[in-house]
Amino acid sequence: MASRAPAATGRLLVGARKWYYGLCGFNKLGLLRDDTILEDADVKEALRRLPENQYNDRMFRLKRALDLSMKQQILPKDQWTKYEADFRYLTPYLEEVIREKNEREEWMKK
Amino acid sequence: MKGIRGISQLSTRLYAAQAARKAEFTGAAEHVTFQPQDVQVTRLPSGLVIASLENYSPASKIGVFVKAGCRYETPDNQGVTHLLRLASNLTTKGASSFKICRGVEAVGGNLSVTSSRENMIYTVDCLRDDIDTVMEYLINVTTAPEFRAWEVSDLTPRVKRDKAQAAQSAQIAVIESLHEAAYKNALCNSLYCPKHMVGNVQSGHLHQFVQNNFTSSRMALVGLGVDHTVLTQVGEQFLNIRSGAGTTGAEAQYRGGEIRLPGISSLLHSAVVSQSAAAGTSEAMAFSVLQHLLGAGLHVKRGSCASSKLVQGVAKATTDPFDVSAFNSSYSDSGLFGVYTISQPAAAGDVIKAALAEVKAVANGGVTAADLTRAKAQLKGQFLMSLETSDGLLEAMGTQALAKGSYCSVEEVSKNIDNVSLTDVSNAAKTFVTGKKTMASSGNLIKTPFVDEI
Repeated sequence: MASRAPAATGRLLVGARKWYYGLCGFNKLGLLRDDTILEDADVKEALRRLPENQYNDRMFRLKRALDLSMKQQILPKDQWTKYEADFRYLTPYLEEVIREKNEREEWMKK
Repeated sequence: MKGIRGISQLSTRLYAAQAARKAEFTGAAEHVTFQPQDVQVTRLPSGLVIASLENYSPASKIGVFVKAGCRYETPDNQGVTHLLRLASNLTTKGASSFKICRGVEAVGGNLSVTSSRENMIYTVDCLRDDIDTVMEYLINVTTAPEFRAWEVSDLTPRVKRDKAQAAQSAQIAVIESLHEAAYKNALCNSLYCPKHMVGNVQSGHLHQFVQNNFTSSRMALVGLGVDHTVLTQVGEQFLNIRSGAGTTGAEAQYRGGEIRLPGISSLLHSAVVSQSAAAGTSEAMAFSVLQHLLGAGLHVKRGSCASSKLVQGVAKATTDPFDVSAFNSSYSDSGLFGVYTISQPAAAGDVIKAALAEVKAVANGGVTAADLTRAKAQLKGQFLMSLETSDGLLEAMGTQALAKGSYCSVEEVSKNIDNVSLTDVSNAAKTFVTGKKTMASSGNLIKTPFVDEI
């Protein structure tokens, strides 16, 4: 999402993004955007490449979110993930996996 | 070169009558002569040594030789050279792992890595026209590897497989143990990753080792069938990433010890050595002649090895099957010389003692001039025949370029071999007899003597 959006961040655009981020609601469970990515084959490979500490943090956040969702609760407002603090930790690895897959497919076409 | 290619094209075209009529081949009577070339060696200001030989072969071979063998491993990164050997196809800054593999395959080339205790050798071979492509991959692999963490950890199964294969060979086990027992540092490091480091060598270790050891002054770029100016250009532009001498390796300290590897094998392998001379010295040449004098393997397949003194001596001590040969290896600052025996477990003691008695006989002057001439001829033959293959020639050029920065011609080496005298050889044997011994044995150790009992 971030890669497709235009680089220019006028005040209006940022405001719209923040509003949409709050609307999504995963930040109320303490999740980051990359925690919510659908796990297809590429994402699974990118997850395999994550450094151990980042993988453990992701597991913790997912466990906490599952627990909250079971109890039908959300975190108190001061613990919600902030838009500015959302760190796209998985995106570089995912981009690399997709780039490698494209390279392989290009080669096969030749 | 162009003339010869024209001739081969003509012979295939003659199948098609139309093509034969159209093709006008002038110069059929032209006899293309090629002058034999000498090896050219240049040393760049950065310390990089470039060596090349134009051998008019349709296939070229290029090697990057680095002084980064396992002797330069430190106690906290043991096994890093084993991983480096396996890491040659990993992603680099200029090409991904997939691209390196497919790119080299696409031109029908080969990229391989060999490492010894002293040197690491990256070789590519390909057809003469495709040198640029494979050279690019070679430069990428040697100067700009990325060692991505997941790719490095994916190498662990390959490390385990290598070790399992090595464990099946008793000779490898004995020789690795021999070095471990003989030296306190540097040369005691094994070529294989030690068990406690399997899975624990990280990307950081690899980066650091490359940073410290792959410097220009410790590298040599060698080519067979490549133009010298082309190689020099490549060396100047691409292989000067890291300058300086890197970390200096420690001087190997000989200590002499023993390692016994018990097992249920029906053959007992044992090596008894003592310190010899560093490579390139005249003593080392004397040890090589002594090795051939005593017996360094079969010269006639499935023969009786009648010319080997060791075999004749041991044959008097036992009637069971056995094998014995002289062991000789030289490194830049030290060397090992001794005997390697393979015998039945019950006869082990007799075999080892008989072999050592033969060496003692040589030390006491029991060598005739005829023996010496034979040994010199065998050594020359072995040396010259090793240069017959392109692999052997490339390795010889590269190791000499790294060690000395020049190339000794075949005539020079033959002269050095001829200059070895009887006294040199018996002095070498005396050095062995009086030196502190190191021993490594593997198999059923029931009757195997300890190093202080032989």
